[in-house]
Amino acid sequence: MELPRYDINKYDPKRMMLIPFLIFLVAAAIVGFTFVNTGMPVTPGIDFAGGTAVTIHTTDTKEQIQAFYTGYPLTSIDEGVGSAGYYIKFGPMSNEEMMKFNEETIAKYPDASIDQIGASFGATLQSQALIALLFAFIGMAVVVFIAFRKLVPAATVVFAGIADITITAGVMNVLGIELSLATTAALLMLIGYSVDSNILLTSKVLKRQGKLTDKMAGAFHTGFIMTTTTLAAIVAMLVVALIGQVPTLYNIAAVLVIGLICDMIFTWAFNAGVLRLYMEKEEGKKQPANNKPKIKGTKS
Amino acid sequence: MSEKKTSGWLATIKDLRVLLVIVLVIIALAAIFVPMGDRGDSMTNLQFGLDLDGGSWIQLEFQAEVVTIGAGADVNDVAAKMGEALDCTVVPIDQYHLEVQTKATEEELRAAVTAAGATFISYENGVGTTTAETVKRILESKVNSLGTNDVKVNTLTNPNGVAQYVRVEMAGVDMQTAQEIVGKQGLFEIRIVTTGNETAHVLYGDSVASVQNPTQNPAGSNNWGVGFNLNNDGAKALQQACIQYGATTNPQAHNLNMYLDGVEVYSAPLSNDLAIQIATHTVNSLYAGTGSGEEGHQQAQELEIHLRAGALPVQVEIAGSGSTSAALGEYFKIVCLIAGIAALAAVAVMVYLRYRVAEIVLPMIATNMAEIIILLGIAVFIQQLDIAAIAALIAVLGTGIDQLVIITDEVVHEGKVPSPTLYLKRLTRALAIIMTSAATVIIAMFPLIVMDLSTLKGFAIISILGILIGVLITRPAYGKIVMDIMAK
Repeated sequence: MELPRYDINKYDPKRMMLIPFLIFLVAAAIVGFTFVNTGMPVTPGIDFAGGTAVTIHTTDTKEQIQAFYTGYPLTSIDEGVGSAGYYIKFGPMSNEEMMKFNEETIAKYPDASIDQIGASFGATLQSQALIALLFAFIGMAVVVFIAFRKLVPAATVVFAGIADITITAGVMNVLGIELSLATTAALLMLIGYSVDSNILLTSKVLKRQGKLTDKMAGAFHTGFIMTTTTLAAIVAMLVVALIGQVPTLYNIAAVLVIGLICDMIFTWAFNAGVLRLYMEKEEGKKQPANNKPKIKGTKS
Repeated sequence: MSEKKTSGWLATIKDLRVLLVIVLVIIALAAIFVPMGDRGDSMTNLQFGLDLDGGSWIQLEFQAEVVTIGAGADVNDVAAKMGEALDCTVVPIDQYHLEVQTKATEEELRAAVTAAGATFISYENGVGTTTAETVKRILESKVNSLGTNDVKVNTLTNPNGVAQYVRVEMAGVDMQTAQEIVGKQGLFEIRIVTTGNETAHVLYGDSVASVQNPTQNPAGSNNWGVGFNLNNDGAKALQQACIQYGATTNPQAHNLNMYLDGVEVYSAPLSNDLAIQIATHTVNSLYAGTGSGEEGHQQAQELEIHLRAGALPVQVEIAGSGSTSAALGEYFKIVCLIAGIAALAAVAVMVYLRYRVAEIVLPMIATNMAEIIILLGIAVFIQQLDIAAIAALIAVLGTGIDQLVIITDEVVHEGKVPSPTLYLKRLTRALAIIMTSAATVIIAMFPLIVMDLSTLKGFAIISILGILIGVLITRPAYGKIVMDIMAK
């Protein structure tokens, strides 16, 4: 396979770091803004905010569905790509309204799938999901620090993970992908994925002998194939799920695709840039350090 | 792994690591396909979630609070006083915790605790484990009365032992039926034996004011039974019936029978003490003994449910619900299967484009498939597959291939494999990278298993299992295979 002509050693490390960092800042602003407005880093879906979602497969048009549900707090209708599937969302309803809603929906669309989450249950899920995310980050940071035991490289890997999730969350906001239980799981999965290639790069650069440029190029070569292969699997899942209109599946896939792309940018531009600066500094330090034992040696 | 007739291949297969994978794949395939148990008309033993099999789930929230009080107060006394103040049942859980069986605000609880002479420390929405278990049993007995359906009832208990929710999952039942079943109450009746097989009505379930958990009487005797209270009307009706039919003078001939929906669930005479007592005044507090030992305990648990006539000891509200029709589930299943195959095909194409040699590409894909098969084999026993779990499975497929790429690139340098010692060093280095990233994924997913965020648990379990299988079983085997291939 032809690799893209990205020479990891060619560009100025500071410039390599700058662009991803700017993207991160923009994403952080979007996420911060959403957080202030909704209390969640990404606009929450019914799992967290409460509400009702209906998945149906029908030959009815969007307008017909809209007409059928007049009187209910309809918020959106998503269409499948080729399978006449619809994913319809509603705001919160009272218990009585809900009973009537269930009855009418089942009567009209016997094969509908209906999900509803009460606002207080949603709030419980919300706080638990945030705790899960927090613990996942702490755990990841601990593992990374134990693995590398050097502040700058370890901190960079952790930051790359945080940035990856933040940018993915930002893109989710822009694309209108809501935070659900499923997408939360995907974000957690990304914590694992994003450190994957970062760990590869950092391990190869820190723990191997040889010229820095060779190690960088080698790591990039492996890492790029690695991530694109994963990406191929996930994109395949995304396409099939989109055509088949299986919301849980395509939401998870979409988040993973966004995250993997962010991960490539962050690993091979930001982390690579930091490591180059770091290694050049370390090399600089090593020179005099290596001389010392020699002097002592001549004394004895 | 395709078998070739060279001795090299034979040696490879005989390698312990490789052999282990082959054996596990065979066992997993057997676990998936060999018919066992009741699997309906399904072609495999895999268990699917409601979103793939069709069915409904309802999550109920307990309208109750668990209060923590400071040390030094008599918890039984506090419970009684709080019960009066809040006008509800308050049950002591242990020395420091009380279960208030109604929804209350912090101020109300704080006031009630303080008035009862104890210090208020904190409160949590939910019930203690005993009540949670009772609710679980009641719901199970209600749903099981339906017959053949596949039903799961789980209380969601937090690390403090407080259950806030109970979740009922019913395969093959639509939402309306599910709500009816969960909401349904039976008709409970107590009748008295008059003469021979004849019985007369005494009271209905509406006269039963409260029902306790099974207890031993006397305490520690291993003689089980259930205490329950009648309201005043009920107590009066019981007294009249006992006197009228002669149960006060000859209790043995006039059993009290209990019925739920017309089926006799309990029958026993008045005790001699009670017969004497009830002849002169009404008795509200009764105790139905069920016998000794484990059998007596079980019967007491069942009787408790019957006495409640399917009513839960604590009020509940529907916190969430969901349903998928069987047809839609079947359709989702097909889409998931296609998605999985498409993902595998995409991976195969990418790997082929990169390496171009069948000797590397085939073992890679085979290893990846072995991983998925072993994972599915384990899932048969421990985890039902819902859509989120399928997504995890496909993600595992992705990470799996990732790590095989790391091994391949590390080991095969410019198409040549080094001497065995250098090879082993490189393989160890590659496995070190893989271990580190595996550890991070496992740690990142772990909170989801502990927190029991419904569908995410399956996602996390499949992810972690997949990674473990890969790291511990299939990837070391792959390393061996690649070495043997490249050595030729």
